[in-house]
Amino acid sequence: MAGLVTTFGAGAMTNSIGEIRDADFLFVIGSNTSEAHPIIAMEMKRAVRRGATLVVADPRAIWMTTIAAKHLQLRPGTDVWLLNALAHVIVTEGLMDQRFIDEHTDGFDAVARTLAAYPPEEAERVTGVPAEDIRWVARRYARTERAGIYYTLGITEHSHGTDNVYCLSNLVLMTGHLGTPSAGMNPLRGQNNVQGANDAGASPVFFPGYQRVDDDEVRRKYEHAWGTSLPSEPGLNLNVMMKRVGRQIRGLFVMGEDIVISEPNVLRLEQALNENEFLIVQDAFATTTMQFADVVLPAAVFAEKEGVFTNSERRVQRVRKAVEPPGHARPDWRILIDLARTCGADWRYAEPADIYDELARHAPRFAGIAHARIDQEVHDGMTGIQWPCGDASDPGTKFLHEGGILRGKGLFQPVEYRPSQELPDETYGLVLSTGRTLYHYNAATQTRRERGLVAKQPEAFVEIHPRDAQRRGVSDGDLVEIQTRRGSIRTRAILSRQVRLGCIWTPLHFAEARANVLTNDVGDPITDTAEYKVCAAEVIRVAEGSETELFPGSYYRA
Amino acid sequence: MTEDHRITLQGESIAVSPGETILDAAARAGVEIPTLCHDPRLEPAGACRTCLVEIDGWRRLAPACATVAHPGMIVTTENARIDRHRRSLLALYATDHPADRAASEMGAPDQLLAMTERYDAPTDWGTMPPCREGRPDDRNPYIHYEPDTCILCARCTRYCAEVEGVSAITLAGRGSQTTISTVDRLSLLDTTCELCGGCVDVCPTGAMTEKLPLVREQKPERELEKIRTTCNYCGVGCQLDLNVDPEANDGRGAVVKVTSPEPGTTTNDGNLCVKGRFAYDFIDHPDRLTVPLIRGADGALHEASWDDALEAAARGLLGVKARHGPDALGFVSSSRCTVEENYLVQKLARAVFGTNNVHQCAAT
Repeated sequence: MAGLVTTFGAGAMTNSIGEIRDADFLFVIGSNTSEAHPIIAMEMKRAVRRGATLVVADPRAIWMTTIAAKHLQLRPGTDVWLLNALAHVIVTEGLMDQRFIDEHTDGFDAVARTLAAYPPEEAERVTGVPAEDIRWVARRYARTERAGIYYTLGITEHSHGTDNVYCLSNLVLMTGHLGTPSAGMNPLRGQNNVQGANDAGASPVFFPGYQRVDDDEVRRKYEHAWGTSLPSEPGLNLNVMMKRVGRQIRGLFVMGEDIVISEPNVLRLEQALNENEFLIVQDAFATTTMQFADVVLPAAVFAEKEGVFTNSERRVQRVRKAVEPPGHARPDWRILIDLARTCGADWRYAEPADIYDELARHAPRFAGIAHARIDQEVHDGMTGIQWPCGDASDPGTKFLHEGGILRGKGLFQPVEYRPSQELPDETYGLVLSTGRTLYHYNAATQTRRERGLVAKQPEAFVEIHPRDAQRRGVSDGDLVEIQTRRGSIRTRAILSRQVRLGCIWTPLHFAEARANVLTNDVGDPITDTAEYKVCAAEVIRVAEGSETELFPGSYYRA
Repeated sequence: MTEDHRITLQGESIAVSPGETILDAAARAGVEIPTLCHDPRLEPAGACRTCLVEIDGWRRLAPACATVAHPGMIVTTENARIDRHRRSLLALYATDHPADRAASEMGAPDQLLAMTERYDAPTDWGTMPPCREGRPDDRNPYIHYEPDTCILCARCTRYCAEVEGVSAITLAGRGSQTTISTVDRLSLLDTTCELCGGCVDVCPTGAMTEKLPLVREQKPERELEKIRTTCNYCGVGCQLDLNVDPEANDGRGAVVKVTSPEPGTTTNDGNLCVKGRFAYDFIDHPDRLTVPLIRGADGALHEASWDDALEAAARGLLGVKARHGPDALGFVSSSRCTVEENYLVQKLARAVFGTNNVHQCAAT
């Protein structure tokens, strides 16, 4: 998000989901789309049926590679090398959109100089992707007008995540694939309201609408609106906050996240929580984090409340109450108002629509959006309103940067490759990546309480290449221990050629085999997003597996 | 659309786009042509023959869904010949279909029965003996196939191949014994099926239906209230309809089914994935937190009133602020909660406690 704000001026999908079907070239990198965003994958499948070229860059042979023209199976963490090499080809072969570069961007020359050191042959040595494939993809991408980039956490969850985003931005800017339909740069959001939470200012740096807290004019506006003085220094982001729990951070309010499952290096976090003075957990379910809580506030789920979620394509859509919450549980917005009032604040909102109105009043990007409009209006055949939306007559914005980039000029950012923080060595000989599966969701608080999902995927597993398994005496289905410098978990081994030799992969969903016991909490220097995608690990056989088929019918079998 | 691209439809001259089918052109012109096997997301199949129209100069009736509207065509959608054809066709379907609405509508509404009534088709042409095989022993928990209600329009198999792209189900067998099945009659759990439920959603007769509503013997879909909302899983923002039985749970209401909106009206184009369509039982799960809790002197969490819990929460946060300053507090907001709730958390952190230490759980 920070990367895109820097280069383009807005951290969101530049284009819309409905435009994917009309794309002619799709570059999917660090996104297991058919599992993490199945409906967007359907749009991509539709484009491919129509004749579009799909290129997937991923260390694993995910489902999308089965319909891809090319699979660039790079070594985990070498994205900068791959992307710089693609840009290198575009520049050396003169495939840039020079007019776009001249009119709409700054800083191209510095990037071009950096790229000289990233020729495809050298990239092949580092990334494992054939130089000819790099050339093929670079030429196709540059020469196709409707060419879009789609990425997810495989790009951002690295110690060089922002660098990865810069590299992708450079590709978009030098080819001018921006401000046109079915093109652009499209981060697919993992949670229902990641976009909306960012938009609403749940950020240490931004007030609602990406207005900086250290901008005096903006802060004065909010001080006036809220009738109180406000802190001017940016706060701590989540990863840093978690690292400082028990030291600088002595009191925590946690709404709707099971932090001891979802945050990296959780064993250290658990120790720190014992040092913490006060913890409030506000959740719909009994979570693992609750054992550290001093106060637990029972919350409603989405079906029990009113409000809006904002999806990956900036579309603000309604959440509507269908049933009453159980027992004494209350909607989060109601609890927050009550808590603020108990603390002495004079908050008065009758319903979520009033809260949204206050948000829109002070954030120009959402100024024209209101619950009533979303309930009543249909634009382009669809419900929901896409920001930016400046006033009540503005139908919203289908794709960004049309007729000029939001920040004035797109900013090229030269990027040099930095290896991931923790690479395999003699003790920990494998690269571990973590991720999502189709059948579960995050901490699986919801999905492991659902029979069909459990029937499809009952337990945790680790994918390991048959040759790596053989060297370690591991057979398919064996119980194994994954070890890293931070901790170890036990899980089932699945021998699979979907992963590269030397790489293993495990899902993050299972409380009894918490992947985040293993993961490295080293952060990206700009966003502090943790390196969930690369750390050094070893696998040791614990016991022979049972005869039962774990995931019958899954394409993940070797 | 230019002046040369026009056809005559039921006596009216209408413009058509190059390559457009008669069915799509008619829909734009507001002329209704009945269909069963048609779906805007799928390639035309021309399988059910309910959309047959008359074209001047053509000897046989033509399926509107699969016939391109060439400039100059004169198309008739309603006349005695078409009516005779349609009633005969529906009567033939009826011989191979349960006439009893309750039996055919255990799951979704039956569009074939509705059409039979609407066009007043004869239903006394006799009854064919059941001849299609189902897979009653399929242990998947969500999707049930009722062979007697099926008319083999193949919307489900085409959806599975063309939209979901997994080709888990297929037309199997031949002649009157043709049925919808899987390779080796495997359970859907043992195939490439990803349990998206699209086959259930597109089925016009309810032959592909949800298992749970049958097992739970709940009210038919027709009697449920539909609440349009946004899915709470990933960031695509699919629109879905929570089907609510308002009398369940002692009047608190229960979500007993999820259905997708009409294709073409929302971002998800009528599609849903396994989580969006089927993973809603968590709403009424016994593990839900229903009472506020406060940790007591004994180290255990005890049930408390809202007033006491809010008081304890406020005291705890204000105490940390008083002892260590505002920046000793951290607020973790949630990308699972609404925009309004995230707005309130950051306002709480900034305006009430004076710290910018606020971040949502999924910031990257």
